[in-house]
Amino acid sequence: MNLQQLIKQLANDSTESLSWFLPEIVLCAVIMLLLLVRLFDGKQRLDLWFVAIAGSVVSFLFSQPWLVCGGGVERTEIFTGLLVIDGFTIAVRSIILLFLVLFLVFTKISGIPDSDDSPDIYTLVFGATLGMCLMVSSNHLLMIFLAIEMASVPSYALAGMLKGRKRGSEAALKYAIYGAGAAGVMLYGISLLAGLTSSAHLPTIALQLAENLGTMSGSEQLVLVLSGLLISVGLAFKLSAVPFHFWAPDVFHGSCAEVNAFLSIASKAAALGLLVRIGIGVGYVPGLEQEVAQDVEAGPAVVAGLLPVAEEAIEPIEDSVEQEVTVNEALQPVRDFIGKLIALLAMITCTFGNLAAYSQTNIKRLLAYSTIAHAGYMMMAIAPLMSSLGSDYGVAEGALSGLLLYIVVYVFMNLGAFAVVAFLRNYIASEEIADYSGMIRSRPYIVICLVLALFSLVGLPPLAGFLGKFAVFASIADAFRATDATYLLVLLLVGGVNTALSLYYYLRVAKIMVMEEPAEGVDIEQYPKAGLEAVYLVAITLPTALLIFFWNPVHAYVVDAVKALIS
Amino acid sequence: MGILAAVNRVYWHEFFFMLFAGISVVFAVCVLLTQNIVRMAFYLVLSLGSTAGLFFLAGAEFVGAMQLMIYVGGTLVLLIFGVMLTAQQRYVKMNTHPTDWVLATIVGGSLLVLLIGAAAGVDSWKDASASKKALAELDVDDARTATPLGLALTGVRVDKLDSDDPALANGQSGYLLPFIIVSVHLLVVLIGAAYMARTKRSATAPVGRAERARLNIMQMEHETDDVVYSASKQSSSSLLDSDQSQAEESTDEAQE
Repeated sequence: MNLQQLIKQLANDSTESLSWFLPEIVLCAVIMLLLLVRLFDGKQRLDLWFVAIAGSVVSFLFSQPWLVCGGGVERTEIFTGLLVIDGFTIAVRSIILLFLVLFLVFTKISGIPDSDDSPDIYTLVFGATLGMCLMVSSNHLLMIFLAIEMASVPSYALAGMLKGRKRGSEAALKYAIYGAGAAGVMLYGISLLAGLTSSAHLPTIALQLAENLGTMSGSEQLVLVLSGLLISVGLAFKLSAVPFHFWAPDVFHGSCAEVNAFLSIASKAAALGLLVRIGIGVGYVPGLEQEVAQDVEAGPAVVAGLLPVAEEAIEPIEDSVEQEVTVNEALQPVRDFIGKLIALLAMITCTFGNLAAYSQTNIKRLLAYSTIAHAGYMMMAIAPLMSSLGSDYGVAEGALSGLLLYIVVYVFMNLGAFAVVAFLRNYIASEEIADYSGMIRSRPYIVICLVLALFSLVGLPPLAGFLGKFAVFASIADAFRATDATYLLVLLLVGGVNTALSLYYYLRVAKIMVMEEPAEGVDIEQYPKAGLEAVYLVAITLPTALLIFFWNPVHAYVVDAVKALIS
Repeated sequence: MGILAAVNRVYWHEFFFMLFAGISVVFAVCVLLTQNIVRMAFYLVLSLGSTAGLFFLAGAEFVGAMQLMIYVGGTLVLLIFGVMLTAQQRYVKMNTHPTDWVLATIVGGSLLVLLIGAAAGVDSWKDASASKKALAELDVDDARTATPLGLALTGVRVDKLDSDDPALANGQSGYLLPFIIVSVHLLVVLIGAAYMARTKRSATAPVGRAERARLNIMQMEHETDDVVYSASKQSSSSLLDSDQSQAEESTDEAQE
């Protein structure tokens, strides 16, 4: 190979990659447009919300979520292996972009940001979303770090969106400093991993690990474990997993409910996508099993044809089959390490989040701890995925599709909860739970929507939250039956106990709003009537309430999405 | 002649390594021990500058140059300017609490022990003669890292051409995408910084919902943060802002 061939290869690769990269390109174009339109709008200020919403819808359409149906997307590496496109990428990316559309509508209705600030704020939101799209498709350590930074840094500014407020500025500064620290630690872990395996490309790292894991000296294994722990610090920060959760309550309390919704949903979905990418990328070499399957199919056909070539051809095939199966078997310790580490973090995160939520009097702090707890539930799905990836693909697929389902459900129920908080703030200028008492008399629609969202967050049937939780817990139970690993049983028990724990503080909010008398001196007639707000909330809550009737197509979709990823 | 012979006998690579490593460590410790912020910043310049020297010695001239340009040239000059512009008498000295010292020693010390243990555990690093031999065989052309790095940033990995291991060559990706996409990131971050630095424009005519949301947030702020506002009277911007919003509120009420 010479230089000319390399350049020709690059040109071909880049043009092919661009067709998969259209949603991100649209996001970049909208960022430019938001800046450029202001040059020409003269005296009357255009409302750039229309540019933003049009851009987000176009970007969502370009993400082509329907491609996934039927498992039609094969794993494709684009940009010389920096990114990877498969069903999982497309599904999570579509979820994030769909959330962006819903989020923009939400900000328009709630009125934050106002038309003065909106171009800047929407630029930050689009910049962060671009980073999140890259997070879920990363296939290279450099892209992982870059994508995390691209998603985080605009979020720091978003947290301080309302200026001249002490608490908001404090939140933004805290978030930025903790975030910078976590990013530095993670970068150190990345450099250790890249140095040990002499590559930053995830599948190559997996191959190198499979080859060298058996012969590594004790200190090299120590460095490997250390790199895994350091990388998990950065990811745990993004996921607000305990013990790196401390920023979440302060940031959520200090910034407005709109930003909270963005940080709590889009950021978590992307971080979980990245966690799956790293887990599967380092612990599993994809594509090998497919070859095995093809070989097996091809084998009998060739024999049946009684071709003279067949006997010669079969031998090397068998060799390659043996070698490929051992690659993924050799990675079992890596998968066990990742799975157990995440299971431990998930258990602590979930329990801590639920216990700390008990004593909260501010609804935003309560939802912050609830976000932490839900990050724990979603991380639980990674443990069965990792434990059964090399042995039982059915269970692994079940775990991954359960996670995906949980993310879909989580988008709607959490967005509903934060939207109610923002709308109620506009009416009563308060975010204290005590001030919500007797709210059902003045605005029944909003209260019913919030109560449904909270019940769904608990996971009570027949709401959507139950389906997500059930899928995740069922996959843990399946994995336990398949592998007999005790930690999976503990994980399942902790998850069950936590669901019961969380019932109390969610229901307390519902009780205060529905059963208690309104506070004295509050004239419920003085509030403005809810118009658009109620329409939006009903539209967001309907999927939460009715998903159980459309369970089959959604489930089929998420199963299709994960099919090409691991088999 | 005696001097020349002595000069020849010194192993200069090792000498410079010790020199740069020594400067870097000594001044890093100085950063910890001094209580004056301006001096801290200056010691940090020296420490990071000699780290660049270590990179040059390791044959990573590009990284060394970047270290000088970004840390010594950019970040630290900015830091010193920031300190000089903001530091008034009582902010120049930083007193570290004894419990902070204990905590930092425990955390930092355990990390140090771990890292030294890991570094000392690699067998191939223990043999001093091997590294000398490798250094003697090193071709000067190998140390020219800027060209392949530049080409890699445009997407062409020329080091792929002479890589021995086909398994690793597959993972050598061109860095065209990060090179381009980071510019979008920097643009977004720049806008974020400008947004944070800008004072809020005077409110335009009330536009219903948006204005109500803003006023409500300001009102919440007054209820909960009254103490804070009266305590921080030096910060004129926040006072101005709250005065303004109070004025707006009163006009709003008058209209109703």
